[in-house]
Amino acid sequence: MKKIGNKITDISVMIAGKAGDGVLFTGNVLAKILKRQGWWVSTYRDFPSNIRGEPTNYSIRASLEKVYGRADDVDVFMAFDCGAVIEHADKMAKGGILLCDGIGIAHIAPSRIDSRTYNIFPLRKLARENFKSEIYKNMIALGALSHILHLNFRVIEGIISEVFLERKGEKIVQENIRALRLGCQKAKEMVGTEDLHPLIERKDHGRLLLSGDEAIAMGALAAGCRYFAAYPICPATEIWQWLAVHFPGFNGLVVQTEDELAALNMALGASYAGARAMTSTSGPGGSLMMEAFSLAGMAEIPVVIAHVQRVGPSTGMPTKTEQSDLDQWVYGAHGEFPRIVLSPGTIEECFDFTIKAFNLADVYQCPVVLLTEQDYGQNLRTVRKFDMTKVKIDRGKLLSQDQLEGIRDYKRYRFTPDGVSSRALPGMKNGLHMVESNEHDEYGYRDEDSGNRIRMMQKRMKKLENAGKDLVPPKVWGDKESQIGIIGFGSTFGPIHEAIFQLKEEGIRAKYMQMKTLWPFPRKKVEEFLGSCEEVFIVENNFSGQLSRLIRSQIQVPFKIKNILNYSSQAFRPQEISAQIHKAVQ
Amino acid sequence: MKKEKDFHLSDPTWCRGCGLFGIFAALKKAAVTLDLDPEELVVVTGIGCHGRLNNHFKTYGFHALHGRTLPVASGVKLSNPFLPVIGISGDGDAYSIGLGHFIHALRRNISITYLVVDNRLYALTQGQTSPTSDMGYVSVSAPYGTKEFPLNGPRLALASGGTFIGRGFSGYPKQLAFLIEKGMAHKGFSFIEILSPCVTHNKVITTQWFRENIAQVEEDPKYDPKNRTEAWKKLSSEGKIPVGLIYIEDKPSYEDLVLPDKERPVVFNDLNLDIERYEKIIEKFQ
Repeated sequence: MKKIGNKITDISVMIAGKAGDGVLFTGNVLAKILKRQGWWVSTYRDFPSNIRGEPTNYSIRASLEKVYGRADDVDVFMAFDCGAVIEHADKMAKGGILLCDGIGIAHIAPSRIDSRTYNIFPLRKLARENFKSEIYKNMIALGALSHILHLNFRVIEGIISEVFLERKGEKIVQENIRALRLGCQKAKEMVGTEDLHPLIERKDHGRLLLSGDEAIAMGALAAGCRYFAAYPICPATEIWQWLAVHFPGFNGLVVQTEDELAALNMALGASYAGARAMTSTSGPGGSLMMEAFSLAGMAEIPVVIAHVQRVGPSTGMPTKTEQSDLDQWVYGAHGEFPRIVLSPGTIEECFDFTIKAFNLADVYQCPVVLLTEQDYGQNLRTVRKFDMTKVKIDRGKLLSQDQLEGIRDYKRYRFTPDGVSSRALPGMKNGLHMVESNEHDEYGYRDEDSGNRIRMMQKRMKKLENAGKDLVPPKVWGDKESQIGIIGFGSTFGPIHEAIFQLKEEGIRAKYMQMKTLWPFPRKKVEEFLGSCEEVFIVENNFSGQLSRLIRSQIQVPFKIKNILNYSSQAFRPQEISAQIHKAVQ
Repeated sequence: MKKEKDFHLSDPTWCRGCGLFGIFAALKKAAVTLDLDPEELVVVTGIGCHGRLNNHFKTYGFHALHGRTLPVASGVKLSNPFLPVIGISGDGDAYSIGLGHFIHALRRNISITYLVVDNRLYALTQGQTSPTSDMGYVSVSAPYGTKEFPLNGPRLALASGGTFIGRGFSGYPKQLAFLIEKGMAHKGFSFIEILSPCVTHNKVITTQWFRENIAQVEEDPKYDPKNRTEAWKKLSSEGKIPVGLIYIEDKPSYEDLVLPDKERPVVFNDLNLDIERYEKIIEKFQ
C-alpha cells in the first residue's frame, strides 16, 4: 500500500480460494468497481490449468497513478478457504486485513499479529442461511470488501445489474444486491475502524478495463483484419473469443481449425486471396506453426501471428506466464527469411502494435509476430480510450485492378530495389502468377537455378534492410543520465518501472530501455544505450536469458551483462528486481 | 469461351505414361466445359509429382507445403467464395501428412473440389511405401514388404461426412473430366480420388492392372449414389475397385452457413472502420 498523508494512493486486494469458487468473477467485479471509481487497476491471476478444485488466487491492484503490474504485497485479503490463507498469508503487508471463510479446519483464530488483522468471515454459512445457496458467497464477499474499501454502492449496483439483468432477470439482481448489503453489514459489525482502507472516488473519464488479448482483438478489428483462423489454446484464446463475437457484424470470419498447422496455412490462404488475416497461439501451437511460418517467408505472404507466451517447455503450465518463446520466433523455423517480431509492453501497445503489425506485414510482405505473455494477455488493466483517429491502414504494394491493367508483363516476385514486389490477387485480370513454396523465379514458377536462387534470396532478405524507419524503436525511461541500465521486453515493463522508483528512494538512479521490436534487431539504439551504461541488467521471465543472448549475439558488449531472471511461472514483483540491482551495485 | 490451349501453359515433364497426363487433360477439359477463365480459377497443390501441375496448368496457382493443400484452399475459398478453387494432393499428401485436414475439410463442407492422385507410393522421393500401398508391398522404405493395411480414401471420406465422393482413373480422362465438372458444380466439398499409375516406381499397380481391376458403378443400373448405405457397401465390397460418382448428398456448404454477407466476400471489405459502431462495442469495457 502507498499513502500520501492519510490518503491511500495504491492498494492491493487478493481474493483466493479453489478453482470453481468464483474467485475470477468476484475479482473482475471488484476490478470494474475500482476502475469506475477512477482508479488505475491492474489485476493478476494465478490460476491452475484446471476447472475445479485446485488453489487459485487473484489480486486486484488499484492505484491513483497508472500501474502495469502486481504489487509487492497484499493489503486486503479475502480467502474462501483456509488453504488460501496458509499459502498466501505471508504476502500480507503490515496493517493488512484478512477475512477467511474458515471452512474445514480453522487454521486461524481471530487475532491481530504483527499489526495484521485476521478474521473468520463465514461466507458460505451466511449464504446458505440467507439465500439457501452458497453461490451468494461471492456477493457477500464483495459486500464485505465494499465496507472495508469504502466503495460506492451505486457503482456496484450498476455493475451488478449490467452483469445479471439481461441474463438472469430483475429478481436475481435484487437477491445479489441483498447479499451485497448483508456482506457489508456483517463486515461493519466485525471490522474495526483501524482496519478500514477507505478509497477515494473520482472521475474515470470513460477509461477501459481490458486484457492484452482483448486489446489485440480490438486492434485487429480496427486494422481491417477480417479473417481469423486459430486452434484453442491458453492463454491466447481470448483474442479469438472476442473476434468470434464481433467479426460477423463487420463482415469478418473466424474459423476454428483442426490444429495450428491448419490455422496458419488457412490464414495464409486467406491473405493470398486478399484478406487481412491473422492467427493466434501459444506454447506448442507456435511450434506447429513453424512450418507455415517459413512458407509465409518464402511465398512473401503478409500475415500476423499473435503468440501469447505461457510456461514451457512442452505443455508446461498453460495458464501461467513466461518469456521463453523469444528464441522460437526470432530464430525458429527452417531456412532463412525476413520476419518481424514485435513486443508490446502494455495493453495500449497491444492495440497499437497490432495495427502496426498488419501494416508492416502488408508493406514488407512477410510474417509479423506479436509476442506477448499470459501476464498481460489475460490480466486486466485500466487503459485510456483508444484514439481511433490515429488508426491508419497501409496495404503497401497491393495492386488495384486498374493499376494491374497498366502493367506489362506482371511478375509477382519482380526484382526491385527494395526487394518488395507489387502484389496482385487471384481473380484479378492480368495478374496471373504462381505462389510457390519451392524456390521460384520472378513469376513465381519453380526455379532451381543457383543464380536465380542467389538473387531471390537477396531480394527477400533485403526487404527489411531499410525497415528501421517503420519499426518501433526501443524507448528509454527513467534517469537518462544514470549509468545503471536495465533492459527488458514485454510484461516486465511494469515491475521494472516500479523497481526504478524503489531504487530512487534508496538513492540509486537507473534507466530502463524497453525493447519494442525484437527483430529486426534495433542494433544502433541498443548499442547507444549500452555505450551510456557502466552496468547493465537484463530482466527476463525465463531461465536462460534469451533477450540477453540475442543482444550479445548482435553487439560486442565491453562489460558483463547481468541477468535478472525469473522462471517461477509468476510475473516479477518490483522488489525482486530492485533488490537484486541494489545488492549488485552496492 | 476459352479453349483447352488457353489453360495450357507448358508441356509437362512427367515420366512418359504417367497418370498425371490424363489428369491434366481432364482438368483442362473440365475448365473449358465449365466456361472458366484462367484468371478466376485457383489451383492449390501439395508436394509430390502432382504438384508440378501448377507449372503447366495456366491458372492462379499456389504450390503449398506438403499436406497443407486443404487449409490453404479453404482460406482462399472462404475469403473469396466467388473464385472456383481446386485442391490437388497425392496419396501421401492427403492420406498421410495431411490426413487431419482431409477429414475436417470433409465435415466442414467448404465448396472446394479436391482431387487426390493415388499412385500408391511416394513417387517424387523415389518410391517409398504410402498409406495406400498394399500389404506386403516392397519398396525402398519397406524392403521386406510393408506390414500396414492400406487406407481407403473414399470410404474414409464417406465416414467423415463427405457430400460428394467420386473416383476416377487417369486412363479415362473423359470420365474424370465429367467427375470434376460435377464436383465443381456441387455445393460443398467435392472429393475425387484418382487412380493413377506411377510408371517408374510401381511395377505391380500398372495402367493395365487398373484397367483390369476397376468397375464402373454406373454399370449397375440400380446403383443410387444418393444412398449412403449402398455407397458404403460399394466401397467396402471385395473385388474390383468401384469407379464413378459414388456418393452425393445435398447439405449446406460451410461458406453459406458462416459468411455474413454472401454478396460481399471478406476480401472486398472496406477496411476503414465504422468508428461510431466500433466505439459502441468498446464502451462495454468502460
